[in-house]
Amino acid sequence: MRRVGGSRRGLDMWLLQRASAIYMAIFLPVFLLILLDSRPLDYAVWQGLFATLALKVATLLFVAALLTHAWIGLREIFIDYIHCTRCALLRLFLYFAFALLYLACLIWAADILWSVR
Amino acid sequence: MHRKRPFFLDLLAIRLPIGGVVSILHRASGAMLSLAIPALLYILMLSLRSAEDFAQVQAFFDGGLGGLIGLGLLWALLHHLFAGLRHLGFDIGWGEEKLPARLTAKLALLAAIVIVGVVALLRLLQSGGTP
Repeated sequence: MRRVGGSRRGLDMWLLQRASAIYMAIFLPVFLLILLDSRPLDYAVWQGLFATLALKVATLLFVAALLTHAWIGLREIFIDYIHCTRCALLRLFLYFAFALLYLACLIWAADILWSVR
Repeated sequence: MHRKRPFFLDLLAIRLPIGGVVSILHRASGAMLSLAIPALLYILMLSLRSAEDFAQVQAFFDGGLGGLIGLGLLWALLHHLFAGLRHLGFDIGWGEEKLPARLTAKLALLAAIVIVGVVALLRLLQSGGTP
């Protein structure tokens, strides 16, 4: 059976998994350095960091990369372990459920970040 | 595709090579982190919402259970990051030979454990003995 979405989809996901990984691997150490540089870290300092537009944008991009990365990773796991003959529908349901959950998470993250003044 | 094939999954008898251990933990830590995302966003929301909620988050991670959860997530993040960097290396053809591959596998496994161990130790010292 031909998989929905065409044969090149796996390559696209492979690339997206690398691209999101690289962004996160750069963001995390930089963020850690920023945190170490702003010690002692109390609420005012923590909140002040996220009040800047630069960190809002960089963090939202991080969340987007994280959610994309997580969705593709979970998809790999589902493909590997849920492969009985009648399981295609279950897999499809799981892809959809996590896509919905993660999309909601992305919108939520934007709200969390842009609530900081 | 659906031919009968030999099937062996005695998890107690299978001895994975070091690369296999790092690989399955890469997957397990990834799954852990993926499922933790909504909870982590909730914590981010609390920490940014008000000084009281920020203190509540701090108290949670200072506590015993919260501390364990925090250390567990830190391990998952670090192991996934180091094992992932190793894979990015493979992508550009770096460290694919048997010996370097085994060496970087050991490094990834140990680095995450050692860092988590150091953080746990610092926590213990700071809190004066109560975990």
